[in-house]
Amino acid sequence: MKKVLTIVLVLSLVFTSVFAAGTKETAAQASAGETTLKWALWDIASTTYYEPLIKAYEAKNPNVKIEMLDLGSADFMTMLQTQLSGGDSSIDVVTIKDIPGYNNLVKRNLLLNLNDKIKSEGVDLSLYGGTTDQISVDSKLYGIPFRSDFWIVYYNKDVFDKAGVAYPDNDMTFAEYDALARKMTSGVGANKVYGAHYHTWRSAVQLFGILDGKNTIVGGTYDFLKPYYQMVLNQQKDGVVQDYATLKTSSTHYSGVFYNNSVAMMNMGSWFIATLIDQIDQGKTEVKNWGLAKYPHAEGIPAGTTLGTITSLGVSNASKKQDAAFDFVKFVTGPEGAEIIAKTGTIPAIKNAQVVEIIAAKPGFPTDQASRDALQVAKTYLEMPLHERAGEIEVVLNQVHDEIMTNNISVDAGIVKMNDQIQKILAK
Amino acid sequence: MPSKQAHIRKQLVAYSFIAPNFIGFAVFTLVPIVFAVALAFLYWDGSNPIEWAGLANFRDLLDDDQFKAALKNTIVYTAGTVPLTLISSLFLAVLLNQGIKGRNFFRTVSFFPYVASLVAVAAVWNMIFNPSKGPVNMLLYTLGFENVPGWAADKDWAMITIILFSVWKYMGYYMIIYLAGLQGINPELYEAANLDGTNAWQRFRYVTVPQLSATTFFVMVMLTIQCFKVYDIVYMVTQGGPGTATLVLVYDIYNKAFISWNLGSASAVAMVLFALVLIVTLIQFRGNRKLQ
Repeated sequence: MKKVLTIVLVLSLVFTSVFAAGTKETAAQASAGETTLKWALWDIASTTYYEPLIKAYEAKNPNVKIEMLDLGSADFMTMLQTQLSGGDSSIDVVTIKDIPGYNNLVKRNLLLNLNDKIKSEGVDLSLYGGTTDQISVDSKLYGIPFRSDFWIVYYNKDVFDKAGVAYPDNDMTFAEYDALARKMTSGVGANKVYGAHYHTWRSAVQLFGILDGKNTIVGGTYDFLKPYYQMVLNQQKDGVVQDYATLKTSSTHYSGVFYNNSVAMMNMGSWFIATLIDQIDQGKTEVKNWGLAKYPHAEGIPAGTTLGTITSLGVSNASKKQDAAFDFVKFVTGPEGAEIIAKTGTIPAIKNAQVVEIIAAKPGFPTDQASRDALQVAKTYLEMPLHERAGEIEVVLNQVHDEIMTNNISVDAGIVKMNDQIQKILAK
Repeated sequence: MPSKQAHIRKQLVAYSFIAPNFIGFAVFTLVPIVFAVALAFLYWDGSNPIEWAGLANFRDLLDDDQFKAALKNTIVYTAGTVPLTLISSLFLAVLLNQGIKGRNFFRTVSFFPYVASLVAVAAVWNMIFNPSKGPVNMLLYTLGFENVPGWAADKDWAMITIILFSVWKYMGYYMIIYLAGLQGINPELYEAANLDGTNAWQRFRYVTVPQLSATTFFVMVMLTIQCFKVYDIVYMVTQGGPGTATLVLVYDIYNKAFISWNLGSASAVAMVLFALVLIVTLIQFRGNRKLQ
């Protein structure tokens, strides 16, 4: 009896270890004649374009199945990099959420260099409005953009109508924007209306400073941020915008602030358009009438200059189905994919007149011409340019932003701190 | 001969029972620990080839503002949290060891913060201590205070907020341990003390405290280690801010490892943390031996 028990125990141990390593491989293999591609992405539930993209592609390619792998939005790039570094070959198509993460993947050789395939398949990079240049590393491209979001001003038309003030127009300098925000601030307690709103991200404030094209956020000197911090801190002091410390400690989401009619204008990325339309449609907001205006700009800089983020698709270097994966990437990032993405109210990377028309024609999008025009962008600067030390720099920028906005450090001392610490990082 | 065979068989059975646990420990704990120690002396970004660094990772820490802030904050946090938790849990335990009405109810209430979900509790805490809208500051205003603290949003108060939160969260757990210790004290000692005409404070000071010394030692060691390792509470309440006011060592390790992908440097900080915990624990053991 004992002998049997021993054998069973030892055998079960051996088996479990063998199977633990083995099951993954078999699961990844598809049945004969059919290719299954695994696409790493985030927030399946709240993202409207994954399903239609996959459906359209599968309809065109009946022998290919696309499987989604949701790695969550908060730590997406960290999760992805950990998976790929661990030698996970089951992921074929990779979504690239931000530039620092993209840079990390490229540096670690985890993404396929797409240059040859782009050439042989005849992908026309001129359609992407220069965004592909911004993510080329030594003139090699490891991802093709499929979304290209930019920052705009959302405003609540009812709040403006009630105050009898004209809507923000598409050509506001910072001074005009500040004056308008102050003019729109009124009331106390439950009737309080804030003229503007900044979410707690540093990009909502700091990146005003890079719109003149003379400064970059990875340069190592940050004196150019001073006027913008002063403007925002003064607005905060005068109750024109909600207090950063309150927003931060209560983890308030920007959408809630806009939904309950308590802000007149809000700076946010174009990704909020689709969410806003959707939420109004479902009756989950108090906002009914809203509009869009171009981002405010510095004196002497053309209107429509704004910040942008690029979301791209790449192919994992460890994938065993790179050709099939690239074909899917080509579809999603190409003109057909762009149209499908635009129909959900999301801005695709290929941004021609037709795509803008599709977005503006979506039910729920503001019908006035000015809001349509706000989607026309003159020049976008990346929120974070491609840089070797982007991750480390961002840690310091976030910390000091937090300190300045909570009035724990003066603007001048904060800038000195950024200069010191980031120059140290750059010198490493 | 058969007896020897039987012996081997017996041993095999024993090992096979230990094996599942040990294999898990080896794969998920032992190997990573050894690897982490080695990494502190190497450069590695997670994918590219590993390079030898020698002591460079440690040398770099000397000039690392993030690390210096984190080290200071961790020590301040531990120095604040350990004695406060110790005193409040002992106080609670002595109080709830009396035959008062609703004793079990109050014991449950005190234990509740420990079992409640940190995420939910931290959100509530942040609402209560919200600098402009929170009820705590509202109350302070009504009481006539002009300069109310900014709590988690003020660099001078953020660490105090975290310490208070930790004490509140942990004291219920250590209260249970103290309660167990109190039940273990021989009632005859109190009777004898009573006969000697002692007052309540003297009985507490000369009977309860010495009788609880073993428990106190255990609580102190566990608490100290727990405090040095703090991460979750800081992440939930302040995210290390404002600025670096509540950045702690484990937070710095996370930033270095998974934001900057500098695994060697992160491991070096982990080694410093390990050394710190080891030294403090050794001092505590030595102090305890002297007391005994």
